[in-house]
Amino acid sequence: MTPIIRVTNLRKYFRVSLRAKGLVGTVRGLFTGDYRLVRAVDGISFEVQPGELVGYLGPNGAGKSTTLKMLTGLLVPTSGELHVNGRVPWRERKAYVAHIGAVFGNRSTLWWDLPVVDSLELLQYIYRVPPAAFRRNLDEFRELLELDAFLDTPVRSLSLGQRMRADLCAALLHNPDLVFLDEPTIGLDVVAKERIRQFILHVNREHGTTVLLTTHDLSDVEKLCERVMIIDHGQLLYDGTLSGLRERFGGKRELVVDFAEDYADVSVDGVEVAGREGPRVVYRFGREDMSASQLISALSERFRIEDLSVREPDIEDTVRRIYEERLLE
Amino acid sequence: MRLYLELIRLSFQRTLTYRAATLAGLVTNLFFGLLRAAVMVALYNARPAGSSPDVAGISLQGAITFTGISQAVIAFLSLFSWFEVMNEIRSGDIGAELLRPFSFFGFWMARDAGRALSSLLLRGFTMVAAYALLFRITYPTGAVQWAALGIALALAWAVGFAWRFLVNLSAFWSTEARGIARFAFALALFLSGFVMPLRFFPAWFVALCNLTPFPAMVNTVIEVYLGVLQGPALAQALLVQAMWFVILAGLAHLAMRAGMRRLVIQGG
Repeated sequence: MTPIIRVTNLRKYFRVSLRAKGLVGTVRGLFTGDYRLVRAVDGISFEVQPGELVGYLGPNGAGKSTTLKMLTGLLVPTSGELHVNGRVPWRERKAYVAHIGAVFGNRSTLWWDLPVVDSLELLQYIYRVPPAAFRRNLDEFRELLELDAFLDTPVRSLSLGQRMRADLCAALLHNPDLVFLDEPTIGLDVVAKERIRQFILHVNREHGTTVLLTTHDLSDVEKLCERVMIIDHGQLLYDGTLSGLRERFGGKRELVVDFAEDYADVSVDGVEVAGREGPRVVYRFGREDMSASQLISALSERFRIEDLSVREPDIEDTVRRIYEERLLE
Repeated sequence: MRLYLELIRLSFQRTLTYRAATLAGLVTNLFFGLLRAAVMVALYNARPAGSSPDVAGISLQGAITFTGISQAVIAFLSLFSWFEVMNEIRSGDIGAELLRPFSFFGFWMARDAGRALSSLLLRGFTMVAAYALLFRITYPTGAVQWAALGIALALAWAVGFAWRFLVNLSAFWSTEARGIARFAFALALFLSGFVMPLRFFPAWFVALCNLTPFPAMVNTVIEVYLGVLQGPALAQALLVQAMWFVILAGLAHLAMRAGMRRLVIQGG
């Protein structure tokens, strides 16, 4: 299959002019061109296949949004290659954006003073969607996103959750081949987040739309994405499955065992007893130490077991450790 | 095409809803119009006794009409203060529009057309009506002159729009683009014949102005209205307007392409 996104050694540098403080500095700034080079995206390469749902993670300022802005044709790369949906986004902006959708969580792409429905209808003309297809999509999305309550409200009066739903609808009405979502759940409550996740999944599965989303909420990634990419300081640190990420960097797993009796000595070589409460014992063990089944069989040889469960390390912790300890460098 | 008609309609409706702003604008325009008419009367009367009643082919009545017409087209042309595209570039809101498969220039031109049309109806015609009550103003005569006036108005708006758009694009290069724009708009104020009909100025100054697109934004409309342009001269003036629109729109297109390479959308 030919990839729908192919990024090779992509870079985007910004010049930030340096201004000394005070009046003297301002005046000097008029004549000198001192600037600092910010390497927002510094040589990343990846491919995305049609129909994938990819999570793009990274701490603030890592280069996520800059990548997305290049992928959507808003920014021209400093160097490197970028082919999306058979085109070079910045070079063929008009032709390219006709087949993509995008939501930038921190700004609306709808018209501020128009009622939602007017904005959506305008999109019909912008993308030249045939009326029947437009109706069908609008009806489908209206129901899934529960838009009816605020279709006639001007965009500026919507709540954040409503606005995000309207924006999502607007990004998908023209059946784009792929859609870029920049923090689509930012600032939303649990219920609203869930509704948006369901919608993204639906669009990916039912319409086969390729989705690339950035987020800070790892439950978004856990619930939606098979594949994650992690970027920091403009460089791609990890590209693979979520479980692979857990395996490589995950903290220790925990096995919670309820024994039939209150045994005196429950220790196992190489495994830490993290807690004990009567017959319930919590073992903590690393992947490299042993597998869960090895530990269970070791225990069941010596003890009678009533019940047990394995707890995977929290993905949130894993990613935090990756950022903080810079494990990937 | 349907899109651009929709944009014109939406923008037209939107401007119609700003009633208080319309009224305030009208009062201001009328006040300055009266002031300018008074200046014209004083200037005409200050000439030595026995001079010809006309100055450069324009009678006092024509000069008063000039002040009325130029005040009436202020809102329609919006020539002297327009920062909308600049604001979008600075705030990054331009991103939302660049994500859509339309021409950015065309999008803004359609929106501005809606705004200009409603301004012409609400403020232009009202202003002329107010002048008609207060003064004995002149009117175009005959179908040809009325048609020419319509074309000149539309072209004046188009040239003015392309100029404003181009000036606004300076925000791609400078964070102090507002100052650049203020200067550019002040230039248009003087060189377009808004302050005085260009005929009143020395020939060398007029020749200089004619090298710029500014007379095509106001002066042509005035001269067509007052009927000082006739026959081939009239046709030529309209052609010059069209030519300036093509040149400025072409420049705007090039500047847009270059500007996109400079675009920085902060945040997120």
